[in-house]
Amino acid sequence: MKRAFIVSILLLLVIFSVPSLSSAQKPIVLGAPLPTAFLYGWTAEKGLKLAVDEINAAGGVTVGREKRPFKVEVMDTRDLEPVVPVSDALLVLEKLILEKNADFIVGGPARSEAALAAMDLLSKYKKVSILTTGALSPAYHRRVEAEYDKFKYCFRISGEVGWLVAGEFVPKLVDIKAKLGLSRLFIMVQDVAHARGAGDLTGKLAKEKGWEVIGTEIYPTGTTDFSVGLLKARRENAQVILIVMDMPESSVLLKQWFDMKIPALPFGTIIAAAEQPGFWRATEGKGEFCMASVVNAGNAPSRATPWTMKFVEAYTKKYGLEPEGYGTSSSYMAPYVLKDAIERAGSLDSDAVITAIEKTDLMGVYGRIKVHPKSHQVIPSIDPNEGAVGTIFQWQAGKRVVVYPPKIAMGEIKLPPWMKK
Amino acid sequence: MDILIYGIINSVSLALMAIGFTLVYGISRLPNFAHGALYVITGFLVWSLIHLLKLNYVLSIVLALLIMGLLGAAIYRFVLIRVRGMATSEIIATYALGLAILEFLRWGGFKGMTYTLPVFIEGSVNIGGIPVDLQRIIVITIGVVVVAFMWLFTHFNKTGLALRGMAQDEHAAMMLGIDSDWMAVVAMGMGSMLAGIAAIALLPLGNIVVEAGYNVLVLSIAVCIVGGLGSWVGAILAAFMIGFLQIITVAYIQSHFHMVVAILAIIITLILKPSGFFGKQKELEERV
Repeated sequence: MKRAFIVSILLLLVIFSVPSLSSAQKPIVLGAPLPTAFLYGWTAEKGLKLAVDEINAAGGVTVGREKRPFKVEVMDTRDLEPVVPVSDALLVLEKLILEKNADFIVGGPARSEAALAAMDLLSKYKKVSILTTGALSPAYHRRVEAEYDKFKYCFRISGEVGWLVAGEFVPKLVDIKAKLGLSRLFIMVQDVAHARGAGDLTGKLAKEKGWEVIGTEIYPTGTTDFSVGLLKARRENAQVILIVMDMPESSVLLKQWFDMKIPALPFGTIIAAAEQPGFWRATEGKGEFCMASVVNAGNAPSRATPWTMKFVEAYTKKYGLEPEGYGTSSSYMAPYVLKDAIERAGSLDSDAVITAIEKTDLMGVYGRIKVHPKSHQVIPSIDPNEGAVGTIFQWQAGKRVVVYPPKIAMGEIKLPPWMKK
Repeated sequence: MDILIYGIINSVSLALMAIGFTLVYGISRLPNFAHGALYVITGFLVWSLIHLLKLNYVLSIVLALLIMGLLGAAIYRFVLIRVRGMATSEIIATYALGLAILEFLRWGGFKGMTYTLPVFIEGSVNIGGIPVDLQRIIVITIGVVVVAFMWLFTHFNKTGLALRGMAQDEHAAMMLGIDSDWMAVVAMGMGSMLAGIAAIALLPLGNIVVEAGYNVLVLSIAVCIVGGLGSWVGAILAAFMIGFLQIITVAYIQSHFHMVVAILAIIITLILKPSGFFGKQKELEERV
């Protein structure tokens, strides 16, 4: 009886000592300021959590001589809402740093205006940040390059609009002109800074490549009727409609385009509504033929690297649907980039981690991940062995078929029947 | 031709959005700032009935409208009755309710761009060489039917006549035995159903998003202010004026200024004629 009692006590001690052992492994807190009600927010959250689960299941991060798990703290910034509440996003960021004791910031803020404003806070608190979703403004990495000592804490491993336009959209337009003989471009953009900038730049570069830009329409956020603009495009014999919109109402545009049988191919360089796997069902197939960019490979299925489909399958298994759009694969890669850098740095010290991230050379989900040592922007490429590759796909029979860049393309562009001569 | 066709469609859409708001204000003097939220909740309700309970489309619409009617009535009976007559409190209470509904929807997972309702009839027709999809033709039909129904209801139905009486002179109506609170319950119920009808007609054209609640509210307020708060005739006239001006702006100036039209109309009206086209405070009979 006495022996049984002692054994029981010992067993209890062992049981209760397990949590105290694990609590000794203080987690590395990743603060994620994200607009969680918007595509670019929840995709990032899901991507981050998937990566963190995988890393923790594999033993965590080696910091010096100890293994520590990652812990994600997500807070809603709401910065993709129409009024762009930058101050709210900054409050959230500060809360993550001061109240949640975030060791690193990953993910957002997602709206360029908020991300740019957040740079000063990151600098003030000396917090290393990896931007992975939403913000596409080139001003972000240009500021880092211009004031390196102040903004060296800021990295971005997702895309930026300068490369997207010059390296992906315009080359794709050149390809469309050569292969399909289309050359008349009509531009429809949302009235926000990044969209207007992307529309203007694409139009300018397309002209240099022999395209005729026959009109530009700028729509305020929340527009629900595009009929007059579409009729203008039809009247002017547009052959491609370039769309740059991150508002949900862009699906109205595509439905109207289909119903009105406008004889111009919709090329959604940024069109958040068309990125998601559920878009097909939501438009009852009216999104067929729409092209869309998801910025980084892996946000739609492709075989960019051996890791791409592994990621797509893991995401699909965990969440029940394919990666949903921009922000997913880059947010998934952020904890891996940090893990790699922390292990090489051997500490969580900001300066040591910055130096380590600058030396990152990791074959990830969307190609080789290396950052420019001065601007801290991921180095883009159209070859996954050289750098981070993007993805432009076209909706074909309910599937997102990658059509650019050529090295990872899984099909060719198809024209709607009412465009065929 | 395209301006005429899409001008009419846009105007009828605005009138549909605003008519519920103007009805509630006309009868009970309650500025229902939850109107946009009621519009959005109808969309998600129909979507849920179709996709979660697997009901057919027509049944889902009928059920959703009934639920909206009850919800509107309950909002008055349990919340607004306590602040009735206190203008600032009414605005705060209805706006807070609207915010609570929209944020609750967001919290409940209704976010993203993939919530849609099917169109009633697929396809499009050519009118004078201009393609128009059938759902937009249906929107016009629904708009005409709703206005005709409301006119008949308020001229030939006992409850409708009581509502008119309330709108014209609340105290006189009460002296004749009309229950003011009951009429306000009916008005809120009907106003919510009208918001629901607008949602059911218009949401199949796009998708159901929480943010639409704010847009619908702003447009409804613009139409009602320009037309004169509480005046149906004014609301319809203002809807046509703003609707056509928006389309003309897109066609001849720049689509960029599309939303500015409604806001500008509010500002100009408040400067030149604060009571709107038909909102003469002393001529209450014009409100219905």
